Amino acid sequence: MKFSELWRLSTKVYKEVSFQAIFSLRAGSGLPQDGRRNVKQLVSSARVNTIISKLITTAFIAVFAFIVFLPVIMGDSGSTMSLEIALPGSVSAFLTVVLFLIIFMGLQVSTSFVSTKIVDFLSPLPLSRSEISRIVFLCFVRIFDIPLVSAGIVFLVVYFLIGGSAVGGIISLVAIAVTEIFALTFTIVSARFFYSRVARAAGKSIWHAFLRLAFMLIWILPTFAAYFVVNFAREIVQFFAYLTQGYSTLSHLLVLVYPFSYGFLVSYTSFFHSVDYVTLILSVASSAAYIGIAAYCVKWVTRTVREISAGTVVRGTREVVKDTIVKPQIPWLGILRKDLRVASRAPSFASLFLLPVAQTAVLAITFSSISEVGISTILGILTGISMITLLLPPTLLSIEGLASAYTRHLPLTKRTLITAKTLLATLTFILSLIVLSIVSFALGKDFSLILIFGMVHAFSIASAVMLELSLLLRKMWREGFAVGNIYSRISTYILILIPGYVMAAVPMICALAAFFIAPPLVLLAFLVAAVTEFAIMTTITASWK
Amino acid sequence: METAAVKVDALVVAYGSFVAVENLSFAVKNGEIYGLLGPNGAGKTSTIKVLVGVLQPRSGKVEIYNTSISDEVAAKSQIGYVPEEVVLLDSLTPREFFEFVTSIRKLSKETVNSKLERFVSAFELKQYFDTPIAALSMGNKQKVAIVAALLHDPKLLILDEPLIGLDARSSKILKELITFHAKKGGAVIFSTHIMEVAEKLCTKVGIINKGKIVGEGTVDDLRKLVRTAEGSLEDIFLKVTEQEAGMQDIIKALEEE
Repeated sequence: MKFSELWRLSTKVYKEVSFQAIFSLRAGSGLPQDGRRNVKQLVSSARVNTIISKLITTAFIAVFAFIVFLPVIMGDSGSTMSLEIALPGSVSAFLTVVLFLIIFMGLQVSTSFVSTKIVDFLSPLPLSRSEISRIVFLCFVRIFDIPLVSAGIVFLVVYFLIGGSAVGGIISLVAIAVTEIFALTFTIVSARFFYSRVARAAGKSIWHAFLRLAFMLIWILPTFAAYFVVNFAREIVQFFAYLTQGYSTLSHLLVLVYPFSYGFLVSYTSFFHSVDYVTLILSVASSAAYIGIAAYCVKWVTRTVREISAGTVVRGTREVVKDTIVKPQIPWLGILRKDLRVASRAPSFASLFLLPVAQTAVLAITFSSISEVGISTILGILTGISMITLLLPPTLLSIEGLASAYTRHLPLTKRTLITAKTLLATLTFILSLIVLSIVSFALGKDFSLILIFGMVHAFSIASAVMLELSLLLRKMWREGFAVGNIYSRISTYILILIPGYVMAAVPMICALAAFFIAPPLVLLAFLVAAVTEFAIMTTITASWK
Repeated sequence: METAAVKVDALVVAYGSFVAVENLSFAVKNGEIYGLLGPNGAGKTSTIKVLVGVLQPRSGKVEIYNTSISDEVAAKSQIGYVPEEVVLLDSLTPREFFEFVTSIRKLSKETVNSKLERFVSAFELKQYFDTPIAALSMGNKQKVAIVAALLHDPKLLILDEPLIGLDARSSKILKELITFHAKKGGAVIFSTHIMEVAEKLCTKVGIINKGKIVGEGTVDDLRKLVRTAEGSLEDIFLKVTEQEAGMQDIIKALEEE
């Protein structure tokens, strides 16, 4: 079959995938039933939502590119460092960001992609296995089409902005293509392992619980890594530059490792500076090798993505069941336990779940150089932790979208739902504070003041979580629980996050005001604001049925 | 005066401009097995989804044991529901799923476990108890939904095509359970396309066509309605839903091809 025909078919399938990504009908959600829109409008709104999400991701890539290349653009890469020496670090850092960002997106969409079961309706058609594989692969790639293309464009724009050459530009494009293939491969490797060993594996053994926890950690690594690279862009560029300066054995080894091979090669072909021929040959050879690996990856991904979406990698192992005892809990605890179980078995939920904890560790390390903990440090760290924690409520509520066409018949009140989700999100915040105290202890820093403010801020976080949940729930209770995954609904999430962020910021603003007016009352002002917010939100949600 | 288990009055269900159920009214009493029949797209599932609180009606009144469906928790507490298309929480095992459902229903450990053991044994689910629902066959998923619907001993059972995917043994057990439930004084609303099952099982049937009730009563009542003394429920159904006319010609034409 011609590529154009495959593309045409993949377009049809992709429409279904984007629709399912938003409304998750095959995962048991129901269509929104607000009585105003018909199904055609819902289909087109799903497509618009998907495009908006892609554009927002593109904007993220552009911002990241700017941050990563900032030291090079501004000539801020250190007084002893020239552009050609700083460039390998910047290129490598940018490729790393793109790699991890696309992996993050991939993990977000993989659950809904698999649940779409597109192979089920392609298989009966008169198409060969390889044609189905290619259609599914094209469809999978199209989920990321705009970010994939824009990563290349952004990279080229920044590259020529800093005075790159035509040859360097071509190599940059190759480097981006290889990076994107690696990212998609990692996503598929991870999804394959997940669906074959973790998600469908039977049993309630500790081993399976451990496997799920390990996978949750693996899933947050790409996000964590992207965040780390962006945060420490300047240091990373300086570090890479330091490594490359000496043309040492280390740099010869480094040049063999992706993405540094491309970093070196782009730098050499851009400025043709004093060439170390050994390093140049090694970077050309390793870059070529990575192109070969990428070509193999494309073949493997094409085959495997079909297997995953067909469910053929699933291993339905069975264990001997000793008893059929169940342990019912009080409703909110039942929801909380269900959420944890679901989140530990779905890449899209799990990758976001431990993020606040990872973020806290990064912040603690970042702020560890500060000798004295003042109001700005306290509020800086708490802002960082709360911003990430407040991403959780929409994710937690989107879990309710799964099987909602069934679970909506259960006698569940909005209040119970809000209580369970608020508790879970607040516990995550408190867990972050515990991590903060562990890291501070390990670094020999006294962060006790931050912890005190943090515990008080937990009230405000709980209020903000309740606010976000209330806003989302008002809409979803009426229209049905179709929230989709975070990647396909970024715009909705952002709109919901803003009021939450504002609420979490109120005690901080009060504390800042007190700092300028009456410094001894900073903690009291912070406490009063946080507890007042909590009291208001608790009163409002307590009346909900 | 006898309390109606379900009272539906002038129910309208719409999806945007499409009206799926139009001015539907019926009542189900305790001890009744009410068969909700109708061709595809007639509005059966939409009606059932409103009864169990999954869909919001555009207008009309629905009461479950004198409790308005708008009083969601009170109404839903009295219902056991098996949906037409069983999509449960796939990543959970049946054990975890039952734990979730019984937690929401506030059931005690003692009450649940004795019942669960009997149902799991009856529907031969034990070997799959710790297997993720995603890895179960359609029939076994259906069994999980049936067990979950029965655990809280509901007064009203609402079963939307519950026999689809079930093996002969489980199908027989379920039919016996339905009959026993009605004999005990409970009520059942049962939707099916299998006329033979409806004829045998239901004490009363309501036939929906294009969102409206076009015939209601016992099979004998319906025979009188279509003025036939002998016809099966299938014949009555085809007549009432105006699907009989021209059907022989269509079959003939298909056979000729």
